[in-house]
Amino acid sequence: MAPSKQSMFRSADMSMVQLYISNEIGRECVNALGELGLVQFRDLNGDISAFQRTFTQEIRRLDNVERQLRKSWIAWIIVASRVVLSNTLLGYFHTQMEKASIPLRRLDLDVETLAPPTTTEIDELSERTQSLEQRIFQLNDSYETLKKREVELTEWRWVLREAGGFFDRAHGNVEEIRASTEDDDAPLLQDVEQHNQAGDVERSFSGMNIGFVAGVINRDRVAAFERILWRTLRGNLYMNQSEIPEPLVDPSNNESINKNVFVIFAHGKEILAKIRKISESMGADIYSVDENADLRRDQVHEVNARLNDVRNVLHNTQQTLEAELTQIAQSLAAWMILITKEKATYQTLNLFSFDRQRRTLIAEGWCPTNDLPLIRTTLQDVTNRAGLSVPSIINEIKTNKTPPTYLKTNKFTEAFQTIINAYGTATYQEVNPALPAIVTFPFLFAVMFGDFGHAVIMFSASLAMIYWEKPLKKVTFELFAMIYYGRYIALVMAIFSLFTGLIYNDVFSKTFTFFDSAWEWDVPEGWQQGQPLVGKLKGDYRYPFGIDWFWHGTENDLLFSNSYKMKMSIILGWAHMTYSLCLSYFNARHFKKPIDIWGNFVPGMIFFQAIFGYLVICIIYKWSVDWLAIGEQPPGLLNMLIYMFLQPGTLDIPLYPGQQPVQVILLLLAFLQVPVLLLLKPLYLRWEHNRARAQGYRGIGEQSRVSALDDDEGDGHFHSNGNGRLSVDTDDGEGVAMIAHGDDEEGHEEFEFSEVMIHQVIHTIEFCLNCVSHTASYLRLWALSLAHQQLSVVLWDMTLGPTLSKPGPLGVVMIVVAFYLWFFLSCAILICMEGCSAMLHSLRLQWVEAQSKYAEFAGHMFTPFSFITLLEEDDGLAEFRG
Amino acid sequence: MAKGYSVFVGLAIVVALCVAAWIFSPKGENQTTWRSSLILAFVSCYLMWFITFMAQLHPLIEPRRSNVRIGFEHE
Repeated sequence: MAPSKQSMFRSADMSMVQLYISNEIGRECVNALGELGLVQFRDLNGDISAFQRTFTQEIRRLDNVERQLRKSWIAWIIVASRVVLSNTLLGYFHTQMEKASIPLRRLDLDVETLAPPTTTEIDELSERTQSLEQRIFQLNDSYETLKKREVELTEWRWVLREAGGFFDRAHGNVEEIRASTEDDDAPLLQDVEQHNQAGDVERSFSGMNIGFVAGVINRDRVAAFERILWRTLRGNLYMNQSEIPEPLVDPSNNESINKNVFVIFAHGKEILAKIRKISESMGADIYSVDENADLRRDQVHEVNARLNDVRNVLHNTQQTLEAELTQIAQSLAAWMILITKEKATYQTLNLFSFDRQRRTLIAEGWCPTNDLPLIRTTLQDVTNRAGLSVPSIINEIKTNKTPPTYLKTNKFTEAFQTIINAYGTATYQEVNPALPAIVTFPFLFAVMFGDFGHAVIMFSASLAMIYWEKPLKKVTFELFAMIYYGRYIALVMAIFSLFTGLIYNDVFSKTFTFFDSAWEWDVPEGWQQGQPLVGKLKGDYRYPFGIDWFWHGTENDLLFSNSYKMKMSIILGWAHMTYSLCLSYFNARHFKKPIDIWGNFVPGMIFFQAIFGYLVICIIYKWSVDWLAIGEQPPGLLNMLIYMFLQPGTLDIPLYPGQQPVQVILLLLAFLQVPVLLLLKPLYLRWEHNRARAQGYRGIGEQSRVSALDDDEGDGHFHSNGNGRLSVDTDDGEGVAMIAHGDDEEGHEEFEFSEVMIHQVIHTIEFCLNCVSHTASYLRLWALSLAHQQLSVVLWDMTLGPTLSKPGPLGVVMIVVAFYLWFFLSCAILICMEGCSAMLHSLRLQWVEAQSKYAEFAGHMFTPFSFITLLEEDDGLAEFRG
Repeated sequence: MAKGYSVFVGLAIVVALCVAAWIFSPKGENQTTWRSSLILAFVSCYLMWFITFMAQLHPLIEPRRSNVRIGFEHE
């Protein structure tokens, strides 16, 4: 039965292979294998720390390149945001806005494939990123310097403008200033002053021996500044200040700050020097201002000219920087991906063992046996392309290690396999539970979700997701991505729900009347509306497909459907579990363990069928008998089952003649299986073990080895394979010393009878109890489908149903409103919520009730070295992927 | 048209479908998946239809209703 070729029935055959690759093409080979994604390499350098491995240097260099690329990526973000910020501040937001968003070209991994780079390309790339990094940081530096210069010039211009205002005003009241700078009276100067006042029109402060300091200070510090000045100079100053109306930008941190222009008049060089010192210590910037109006005008002109120059240069720098970064943004994604791949390649190469004398890399790993030729030709291609005379050797070796479980999936089966893998990884080569799950999981869902109308909506949704598969793949919204991932499950679920909806004859809680009913009303003479009516069968004819619509809306409708759905749950559960149990037979046969057939499968099957198989037969037999025609009382099957256990041999109401002995025999048969289940397997294993010991055999685990060669030295021409065959190493004639690995990792355990016994006792108790509890567990099919049907009836009666009988325009409005209410509630509650709960219940039936019958789940997953999965799973690359 | 023996007719149809599914499943590495899924689907659906049909074959209770309107009692 086991198919020879690879299929979904079992995980793929795996082979442990050894690769001998010439050192020169090691990188290219690993690259090609990474693209192929079919080999899972083992770490042959487990005892060597990460720093001592062969290719640590290369990895470090690539790390560096990656860091540089990331830095330029961050620079890109900063510049982009700065452009937005400065544009906002400068006010020409709209015109410049487009420039702010430098497009990053993302890489769509599904469409574009990158050719594997050569070593020189990588070298070039690393050099290029280095120079790029330098250039960007130079540009950035000069940008910041220029920005600083610009701010300084702007401040100077403000000082000139504001201070000029002071001077113009001050010329009118020099006297006042003089008086205020000098305490009380200053008779010594009085004469001079008066003389000057009388004569000169162009009075100057310097003539009065009054100097001044002009500058700009942070507005928050003005109060403190004033106070300190006042105290240190004992009031010997005249200060004037004004606010700069627009905020200035601090180039170091891009924050806007408000500043004030101040002019301080004082006399005496020492005092002026003191003021300068205090200003500097308070973080003020001092600018030189000429008191002469003409000179000042020249200064203003000069400052303006310089400011324009600086702005021009600044603009150019910004442009160059943007251009540079735009160029980077074009290829940044591709470079990042190349570097990530390259790094992964070297990390894989670090797993290999390096034979320095022969310049050969030796690798060990698992790969699917069927794909061996493909791997072989790939390696051959690489060797040929490199023009090497030394071929790469791939050599299959035998090992006693458990191979990894490799379950190949396609677009359709992927989601089904995922829900199975969510429970556990199937043991290597055991029956893959995902194969039956493709049908049983959606089918059991549909039994609970049986409504044709809801199924149509679900079917359309899943079809839409499949039709627009490609564009929808890019949606990153998590909840949708999850549903999208399960679109094929949803499709199969919807198809089965269409079927069960027809069987239940439910469409949005209404019915179809495709066929003639088997019933008609038995109308008595003189019947009036409001009096109860009872149906009667038309004859031999029965409703051919699904539930007769005549039951819909009757008073005892639930009585009928409950009995029907309950029995259906039991029968479907029985069928599901019997099917699952049969799979354990295939497992036992495949693993060549006949004792599992005779010690577990057969007694288990007899136990289960003797009780629940009998119940199912009774249910069907009871249906097939026309109890009313033969005029006998139909027995209650529940009571029958209870009496069968509690009082064997007695009957409440007989179902068929000779029932008592049959039930007693079945019961005995079932109970006889318990000791068989309990003892047969442990005793057999003990007998087998003792016999082997008596003949002088040892457990293979006592001398397990993994690698092909167990002699490190000596002539390793031959690989003695596990099955006694000898395979000659034809590669270099000398044989390759191979390090034997992991000998102690998983040796076979000693046979211990008590452990086997305990294990079997647990299995027996679990199995027998589970037969009962799992059968009961299938009653959830009945409960959930009842709930779904009743909820949709209630929803109809609460919203759309009553409005249909309302006449007039109000009725129209009500129908429209009620329809939308009903439709959205149907989608939200009955399809989404109910669907979700039905899915979870079905999942449980799949995981627990079915899989516990046969699956062991003791495998470990095959995780090949593959660039595709690597790039998909790397979070750091998320922003570069399309 | 639909009598008690219909379950056997249905069974014959489903068996025929299963055989057809076995034979006509597309070749290749997915053949096992096709065969298993189709046959399992046919059997499941048949089982459900069979149960529904059998439950109505010899009903033990009759539909009962008090809100039948005049003019509809003979439907």
